Amino acid sequence: MNPISEETLQAYVDGELGADEAAHIDAALAHDEILSQRVQQARAMRAQLKSLFDPVLDEPVPEQLSALLRPAAPAVSASTIPHATQTAHRGVGAGRRRSSRRWLLPGAAVAASLAVLAVAFWWHAGNSLVRLQDGQEFAAGALSRTLDQGLASAPDPAAVITIGLTFRSTDGHICRTFVSHASPAMAGLACHEAAGWSLPALSSYPASEGGELRQAASDLPSAVQAAVDARIRGDAFDARQERAARDGGWR
Amino acid sequence: MDPHQSVREGLLTLLPRLRRLARALAGQPADADDLVQMVLERALARSEQWRPDAPLDKWVFAIARNAWRDELRARSRSQNLFAPEEAGITTADGGSAPTQKLELAAALAALPPDHREVVALVLIEGMSYAEAAQLLEVPVGTVTSRLARARATLQAHLGNAS
Repeated sequence: MNPISEETLQAYVDGELGADEAAHIDAALAHDEILSQRVQQARAMRAQLKSLFDPVLDEPVPEQLSALLRPAAPAVSASTIPHATQTAHRGVGAGRRRSSRRWLLPGAAVAASLAVLAVAFWWHAGNSLVRLQDGQEFAAGALSRTLDQGLASAPDPAAVITIGLTFRSTDGHICRTFVSHASPAMAGLACHEAAGWSLPALSSYPASEGGELRQAASDLPSAVQAAVDARIRGDAFDARQERAARDGGWR
Repeated sequence: MDPHQSVREGLLTLLPRLRRLARALAGQPADADDLVQMVLERALARSEQWRPDAPLDKWVFAIARNAWRDELRARSRSQNLFAPEEAGITTADGGSAPTQKLELAAALAALPPDHREVVALVLIEGMSYAEAAQLLEVPVGTVTSRLARARATLQAHLGNAS
């Protein structure tokens, strides 16, 4: 039998074959284990891509986008707006315009590309900062060393990775937020466990409105901030508590 | 109903799918929504170019794809330090994605734009090869071969990851 080409097989998976051709593949699949594996692999990838992006459909639409589509909004000329609301309306319009141009500023473009690249690069180029153990992500390399040794109260100006908050979590572990300023910037939350620093949150570190990468570790991506809020017990450590925790091996 | 109003109401219905497409192309949520905003502005400005007998979604997705390509070009002009080919992607659920999803997102981000857009249109948006070919203004055979190569690259990344 002629081998079935990759393109024919993907057309089968994508529902692009005519009935006759599809029946031919169906028949071949019945007794060809390898072919059937290739079909399953292609179907699995399609399903994975869907599951990566379909959640966007259920996200609330940002107000700045739906506002563009409201009947009275941006298309209305100033002269038709009742006098009393003119000032407020202009204010809203100006804010929107600024935000729509934000990504065209050269500085913002640089920062945006950095943020865009972040997760992909973190994983590929920077994977020495993360190791996997039993399917869980742990800090490795320079990240692990900084989490072990670094103090937010005594920052090393040359350090690429900076520590933000240190706190005790509700389950008793000590957790620390960090930012890696190496391109691409990443932020995350690490919690000290027997096996090392686990990473319950890891996120690209977005650019600020001004186009500069944020420097302060206090201004965290929402995914990391949410992970902190979900875990923190009491207040974050002060400088003395942070040093004592380090000297105590983060127990 | 005047055409501008039809387009505006159609866009409102399309917004979730438009955001999904933009996320698959541009990657980072903030960049994707900036792209969506640009698409909405362009579509509203050109609403009289849309013919009511043509599907609005294809018309809008073509605007989105062209706006994304414009942006890639603008970035490559202003910023040679960062290869536009690598404008990437994150998962829809942000930083807490399981490793497998991160791997797939990273692999998609690393695809060249020609490949990424067929993956976005066919595998994520669910267009037929013929619809994607029409939108991209290339022959169906080109869509098929780009898609096959994109799949092979993605599969290789996933294979190496595990």
